[in-house]
Amino acid sequence: MTEIGLPRSTTSRAVTLIVALVVLVIAAALWGISVGAVAIPVDVIVNTLFNLDGEQQTYIIIKSRLPRMVLALLAGGALALSGAIIQAVIRNPLASPNIIGINSGAALFALGMVLVFPAIPVAWMPLAACIGGLLAASFVMLVAHYRNLSAVHLALIGVAVGFVFQAGVDYLLITSSDSESSAPMIWLTGSLWGRTWGHVAISWIPLLALSAVALLLSYRLDLIALGEGTATGLGLNVPRQRLILLFVATMLASVAVAVVGVMGFIGLMAPHIARRLVGGSHRLMLPVSALVGMLLVVLADSIGRAIAPPIEISAGILAALIGAPFFVYIMLTTASET
Amino acid sequence: MPLAFRYALLAAAVLLAALLSLAIGQRTDVGLSNVLQLLFIDDGSLARSAVVDLRLPRTLIAGLIGINLGLAGLALQAVTRNPLASESVLGINQGAALGVAIGLVVPSLLVVNLDVMAIIGAVVAGIVTFAIAGGLGGRLDSMRLILAGVTVGAFSFAFVRFTFTLEDNLSRLVLSWTSADISSSRFDQALPLVFWASGGLLVSMLMAHSFNILALGDGASQGLGVDPRRARFTGAMLAAVLTGASVAVAGPVMFVGLVIPHLCRLWFGPNHRVLVPAVALGGAGLVLFADVVSKLVRFPYETPLGVVCALIGAPYFLYATLRARTMA
Repeated sequence: MTEIGLPRSTTSRAVTLIVALVVLVIAAALWGISVGAVAIPVDVIVNTLFNLDGEQQTYIIIKSRLPRMVLALLAGGALALSGAIIQAVIRNPLASPNIIGINSGAALFALGMVLVFPAIPVAWMPLAACIGGLLAASFVMLVAHYRNLSAVHLALIGVAVGFVFQAGVDYLLITSSDSESSAPMIWLTGSLWGRTWGHVAISWIPLLALSAVALLLSYRLDLIALGEGTATGLGLNVPRQRLILLFVATMLASVAVAVVGVMGFIGLMAPHIARRLVGGSHRLMLPVSALVGMLLVVLADSIGRAIAPPIEISAGILAALIGAPFFVYIMLTTASET
Repeated sequence: MPLAFRYALLAAAVLLAALLSLAIGQRTDVGLSNVLQLLFIDDGSLARSAVVDLRLPRTLIAGLIGINLGLAGLALQAVTRNPLASESVLGINQGAALGVAIGLVVPSLLVVNLDVMAIIGAVVAGIVTFAIAGGLGGRLDSMRLILAGVTVGAFSFAFVRFTFTLEDNLSRLVLSWTSADISSSRFDQALPLVFWASGGLLVSMLMAHSFNILALGDGASQGLGVDPRRARFTGAMLAAVLTGASVAVAGPVMFVGLVIPHLCRLWFGPNHRVLVPAVALGGAGLVLFADVVSKLVRFPYETPLGVVCALIGAPYFLYATLRARTMA
């Protein structure tokens, strides 16, 4: 896009890296389509996708595995972008959509809509999730704003808000489900099981639009990173930009939760990995985060199906198993301010 | 208010909650008016059998896990000197749940019985949490301790949830157990809890003095003849064992160990010799009360105990974290 402000060597290295990541994501997605209860060779996948001559597996690929891969890519990118923006705006390396309560808030409202008001068409679910996510995020941000909290304390309050919404989710699940209780359960642990094109249909427009907005706004994150004084001097209304950016981040995570459930730690891990790869410049870091997020979710879903077919381990569980130690590592390396 | 009067008031509340827990249920022929008569006089009726065989064990279990969890929370708050600590926040509860889930799903890994599995899980989770936060010897960073605990809890619970995706009957068993549904408890489950709860009460009473001294800081406790490391280790082990014993029977009931020591400290002051009996009573009272609520919320259907406790405890945890800066 532009080389201004970035040394040429950095740019070429970044281009190589992004190309490598794109290739990795595509390879992971292909692997994800091929593994599962029925193993499908790659040439059959290619035949099916591009409608070439030769053996095809239309039903399994088009009806079952392709939509879940598309959702994994969309949700992974959205969660990662959301985490990258949140970490930059509130300058807290421990923050992520999950940690500041967005995921549980979104889950409660999405689930509440489905279970309490079954008359509302399911297409409204992303909107309900956004309301819940915004509610949780604004509570945490207001507290942080008025109390000038340390990074760790803010994360703690976010966790507590998450517990409150989680208690509500548990109540709704237990009181309104009977023999079919395991289906919503799997939905909430963050899973791509049983996802159809219907889920893609209600989420792809908001997710793509919000991701585009996030990428367009990335230079503002770089300005904010210069410090509030400098950013204001450069003509940026910092408090307003922060609000806009957090709003976009919250919506991204909430819509993702509405379709794939609570997938913790993706929004935490992807930005950290991206920062390791390309450094702190957000114009590079954001797209790389998104790619890393896609890769993580696709891998989590595929590995969950590859370990012991036909059993599926949901992607959210795998993400938690990898993400929890990662969070501890970040926490130990973050200087405590208390 | 004199101390004895406050104890009496709390005990009366516990008895009332126990009575309500016994009297409320789906049967219309058992009520507050005749529940005591049915309990003590064997008239061979079905109502008597419902009270003694179905409701009494459940009421006993609710009260006993309340004692266990309350005391465990008190011990953890004393050894960490952190008012936010408790077995559910430090991941010990979830670790115990993981122990039980492993025992249920992979019978070949079962050590002795589910109680022991739960205690092993609780101890391991506690060790990991403390190790992340800086260890028993070093200075524990209070906020990090809690975040480490929450993360260990999330990690353990991810494994527990994994069992939901396994075979259907097993997943239903684990699901009803993780939401702490005690509606089908029997007497043989309540009896070991009597042992654990009375042992826990005894050890807590013996440790009350050490807990008081730990509050003064490491230097002062050494000067007063209490080895702070040993006291912390014993206290943490006590908490892990009590938690494990309750989780094995009732499932992970969250936040009791956080709420009760807090409320009791407000009412009875910071002296642990006074607090230990108060927390035992208060814990029993809260879980019995939650049991009553769990029967009433969607009468005649039941809401699992764990869900009710989470609905009470999670907002309280939020309130406590908001206040944490002034309390720490």
